Amino acid sequence: MSETLTPRGIVRARRRAALAAFWRTFRRDREGMTGLVLLALFAFVALAAPLLADESGLSLTRATGPVLAEPSFEYPFGTDKYGRSVLTLVIWGSRISLLVGLAATLISMVIGTVVGIASGHFRGVAGGALNRLTEWFLVIPFLPLAIVLATVFPPDVPKIVAVIIVIGVTSWSGTARLVRAQVFSIEERPYLERARALGAGHWQQMSRHVLPNVMPLVLANTTLTVSIAILAETTLSFLGLGDPLRISWGRILDNAYSGAVISTGSWWWVFFPGASVVLVVLGFNLCGRAIERILDPRIKSRV
Amino acid sequence: MTATAIKRPGTPGGGARERRLRAISPLQVLRKTLTALGTLAFVVVVNFFLFRVIPGSPEKAFAPRGRNADAERLAQIRRDLGLGLPWHEQFWSYLKSLVRGNLGDSWGQHRPVVSVIADYVWPTVLLSGTALVLAAGIGMWLGARSGWRHGTRFDKLASSSAVTLYSVPEWLLGLVLMVALSGSGLFPVDGGMVDPRSTLPAAIDVAWHMVLPCFCLAVVYIAEYSLIMRSSMLDERYADYLTTARAKGLRDDTVMRRHALPNALLPFTTLFFLSIGFVVSGAITVETVFSWPGLGRLTYDALRGPDIPLLQGLFLVFSAAVIVMNLFADLLYPFIDPRVRRS
Amino acid sequence: MSRTPVTDGAGLTDQSASRRESRVPSLRRRLAAAAALLVAALTALAIPAPAAAEDATPSAPTKVTFVLGIKQDIDSLNPYVGVVASAYEAYQLMYDYLINSSDKDFSPVPGLAERWETSTDGKTWTYHIRKGVKWSDGKDLTAKDVAYSFQRSIDGETENGQYGNYVSLITKVSATDDYTVVIETSAPSPSMLRLLVPILPEHTWKDIDAKEVSTFTNDTNPVGSGPFKLVEAKANQFYRFEANKGYWGGAPKIDELVIRVYADDEGLGQALRNGSVDMIQDVSAAVWESLRNVPGITTSDSKYPGFNELAYNLGAQTVENKPIGNGHPALKDKRVRLAIDTAIDRKTLVDKVLRNHGTAATGVIPPLYPNWHWTPGDAARTFDLAKANQMLEDAGYKKSADGIRVGPDGKKLEFRLFGREESEFSKDNVAYIADWLSQIGMKATVSIMSEDKLTAVIGQGEYDMFEWGWVVEPDPDFQLSVFTCDQRSYVDAGEIAAGWSDSFYCDASYDALYQQQKTLLDPAQRTAVIKQAQQKLYDDAVYSMLYYYNNFEAYRSDKFTGFTPQPSDGGSLVFQYGTYTYLNLAPVSKTTDTGSSNTLWLVLGIGAGVVVLAGIVGGVFLMRRRSTADERE
Repeated sequence: MSETLTPRGIVRARRRAALAAFWRTFRRDREGMTGLVLLALFAFVALAAPLLADESGLSLTRATGPVLAEPSFEYPFGTDKYGRSVLTLVIWGSRISLLVGLAATLISMVIGTVVGIASGHFRGVAGGALNRLTEWFLVIPFLPLAIVLATVFPPDVPKIVAVIIVIGVTSWSGTARLVRAQVFSIEERPYLERARALGAGHWQQMSRHVLPNVMPLVLANTTLTVSIAILAETTLSFLGLGDPLRISWGRILDNAYSGAVISTGSWWWVFFPGASVVLVVLGFNLCGRAIERILDPRIKSRV
Repeated sequence: MTATAIKRPGTPGGGARERRLRAISPLQVLRKTLTALGTLAFVVVVNFFLFRVIPGSPEKAFAPRGRNADAERLAQIRRDLGLGLPWHEQFWSYLKSLVRGNLGDSWGQHRPVVSVIADYVWPTVLLSGTALVLAAGIGMWLGARSGWRHGTRFDKLASSSAVTLYSVPEWLLGLVLMVALSGSGLFPVDGGMVDPRSTLPAAIDVAWHMVLPCFCLAVVYIAEYSLIMRSSMLDERYADYLTTARAKGLRDDTVMRRHALPNALLPFTTLFFLSIGFVVSGAITVETVFSWPGLGRLTYDALRGPDIPLLQGLFLVFSAAVIVMNLFADLLYPFIDPRVRRS
Repeated sequence: MSRTPVTDGAGLTDQSASRRESRVPSLRRRLAAAAALLVAALTALAIPAPAAAEDATPSAPTKVTFVLGIKQDIDSLNPYVGVVASAYEAYQLMYDYLINSSDKDFSPVPGLAERWETSTDGKTWTYHIRKGVKWSDGKDLTAKDVAYSFQRSIDGETENGQYGNYVSLITKVSATDDYTVVIETSAPSPSMLRLLVPILPEHTWKDIDAKEVSTFTNDTNPVGSGPFKLVEAKANQFYRFEANKGYWGGAPKIDELVIRVYADDEGLGQALRNGSVDMIQDVSAAVWESLRNVPGITTSDSKYPGFNELAYNLGAQTVENKPIGNGHPALKDKRVRLAIDTAIDRKTLVDKVLRNHGTAATGVIPPLYPNWHWTPGDAARTFDLAKANQMLEDAGYKKSADGIRVGPDGKKLEFRLFGREESEFSKDNVAYIADWLSQIGMKATVSIMSEDKLTAVIGQGEYDMFEWGWVVEPDPDFQLSVFTCDQRSYVDAGEIAAGWSDSFYCDASYDALYQQQKTLLDPAQRTAVIKQAQQKLYDDAVYSMLYYYNNFEAYRSDKFTGFTPQPSDGGSLVFQYGTYTYLNLAPVSKTTDTGSSNTLWLVLGIGAGVVVLAGIVGGVFLMRRRSTADERE
């Protein structure tokens, strides 16, 4: 193929080979595969939600089922206090929970990478200020900060957007610090010095040389961040700060708690959405750990 | 939520390895302390502006809906709170009182923020602190063991349960426990810290009420600690000096305890100090679910107000705790790293 | 659904309870084992020696302690600064008032003042103070203390902020002798019969100066004259009150009253179930319903002086008539509001949202106050979507292609509808209302926000409609004042600050009615004007009144008796205008030792803990032996 002859083609082929090798290793990792299967399952549920359950089953005003019925053939996950099928809620809730988790992670990764690279690359006042900012986000407890930030959005911003932004904005600091440390070591490398000597600008140095080198680290970090973002969404919703107009797993749990799930002993109302949260987060954690194992050569040699 | 705060990717352990071989000089102590102070100053400034952006009519905290206070009174309260003033004047008076150790008066509780925080800090320290200490012990043991016996059934069971528990939000665990134990009379599922009518000695009553919330918190910490401990144990396990030690004919257990464990403890210790920093911010969700009268629940209530002076004070205390503990861990490092000590 | 929701819930509770029994044991055993281990560890850690010794001798005669569970913590025990309902409950327990409200119907009855007279012009009031009343430190309570308390509420800035509305007409207060107080007012006012100003002891409060009073906590041995005396206060945990056995209104039959704070409804429900509290109030419908068939517990669904409404932005303006905010102009059109009002099915809201714990609302003064309450009778607007559509057609709001009506000004009837985060009811209400609006060619975009944020948004006039409610005092004056021109927002230091108006209603004839009722001393005349004012609000559709809701209370009827409603016809049992229940409470029979079951479990728990601990240690030992054996191989 002529493509492989260009430098860019070579790079691409090398990346493809690396990816294939990565996948071969990943496939042998039992934990990682378990996580992947879990994630595939929930991704399927979220994508196929309209096929699996009728959306009208989410409506408070048009609920038809019996109130707080325990799991049965007709309602495999039971019903809530409005007479809605918990199965339907869990299926549709997966969409919002995953959407918020993924979107917030995207924001978090972008901010974390940009701030990390910039604070690592620019020494002096700018880098120092960015580093301070990162530290501020590291030392402020996440949840109160998220709650405070959630209150500043004007009422016409949909709450779900606010929640995504809040989680994204509060969870990037770890990534930034990790990336920054990596940038320090990259900047020492000879090819960057060469690039500098050849007159490459800051932008070119960062985008062409630093970014590609921190990307694997960022990606490995992503899966773990998703699990945190999903937990954060669930927790915010449970505290009544999620989007009340959309059903997420956290919102189901919030409804259950305020709907006297303990007093009525309707365990199914908590168990199924709760288990979904745990399984998805577990899926991301398992995958994340597997990726870390594969990318970290110190461990790789002995697994 | 402490766990989430720590769970930020990349925080635990990360920088530990690079720092290992540095000994510490008085100059460095000074530099580190100054850096910490700088961060603290930055926190003070940012916190002030953070809370200016919260919308609301704080005067309503003094005269809530349905209570008759006339417009004149509302205007008076606004003036008293300094709300009409330009921001730089507000900032200046905030700084001035801060220097005097005065964090202002709580809007929700009508008394100095300092005394409010002082009232709520001990229940949190007791709850989160106990959970942390228990978890550190159990987590260290579990992690060290499964790292050392890598691949055994014990390791598989311990580490897979740790990963699973790590994925459980602690309040969800609390909720499940409450549903399960409701009506059993086993533990007080209604929450609180003491039963004012209890005939039990106070300490037992508190311990009794603490079991469930402490359990929820500890489980998450245990999972986290054991995972960290396991991975650093794995790092040490095949190191050369251990082979030497084994070659000397030392028992496997002794090799682990005398040689591998002290080295593997470093990342764990860093994480432990970080978590101590987050102890005071408590566990908002667990404290709320279990009606525990600590800083976490106080924060939650203050956010509902919003009680801005109280929030400002709480955020300052939270961040100061983390900063101080980080500094402490940094300074302590040379003393606990056997290699640094030797060099 | 063939059965009513309530029966459904109750029935299922029983089933699920039995079902739960079958599934819990194995889980419970595991949890108990784990937890017991913790207990054992904790107890070892946490018991300092003196604490263990302290409780060796339990007090010989059992104290009768009544525990009330609440959700909202008392914000301050200082009666000049606390604002939440539970704080007022505490003030009532600790202090006395000149005139009380009867438990029957809120009518004025003697408090510290045995009797009172009014001069013929209605401007001079003479109150005769009860003799022999003592402060809890043994000193005599005299007219000087009364005059002092009133003077302080007039002069002090903080104090006036708290009780200013009761003393605003007072020009002079004097104690003419030890047992007579004379108050002169600038105009005759019916509010002189409802002076909710607590009488405080001059001899201790004179040391609390104007600066100190705003942060004074008043939580250590406060001196009072009320039926109970505060002895211990632990913020966010509990407040312990001791009965004042020498109370002039009769000694309370209980020895101690504890108000215990919980974080949420579930905590309250569990506490009542397991007996750690004897009564809970203001609990959620869901928890309340789950308690209905629990033996030993009586649930009471009492009338409450609150209502919920759908409020409109009637064209937000400041008191200087300067337009503010961005309300939808169509809502200034009374015909649009009337159409919306006609499209609201209050019966469904009461049935589905309140689950029948309330009634459809009309006048802004709830039926709990039968003297003031107004109802349109047959003239009430009824739910009729077709009629609502017709009303809009007639008013010139025609449907456009997408089914949404367009006003004569070309603006679509698309509204913002705000609900409150704090209330499940609110979220449900706005969901229903949005649904109905969509059926009359309107579009409502629902947002849910915190009450605090909503307060701010309302003050700025940046809303179209929202759902909220009010709790109405026995005197209707304040509730009616909310709709006056003066209560609209105002400009303070360049910023718009909110008054109490949340509709921006401003109508000269209404204001005149409001002013008139303020000065009428004759109850019949005043009632007529108050009813007229309510009718005006109804006819102008200032609010769409949704419902009057009930208050959920539940108590251990197996342990206590003497719960006294106010008003007698189905009113609340606690959080009254008075302390009737607390005074009448009595234990049902001999109180059983409530601690015993806990102690038993504790002993079992510790025992189990020790066993488990031993098991674990043994197991570890064995495992270690085995694994070291493995290693040796």
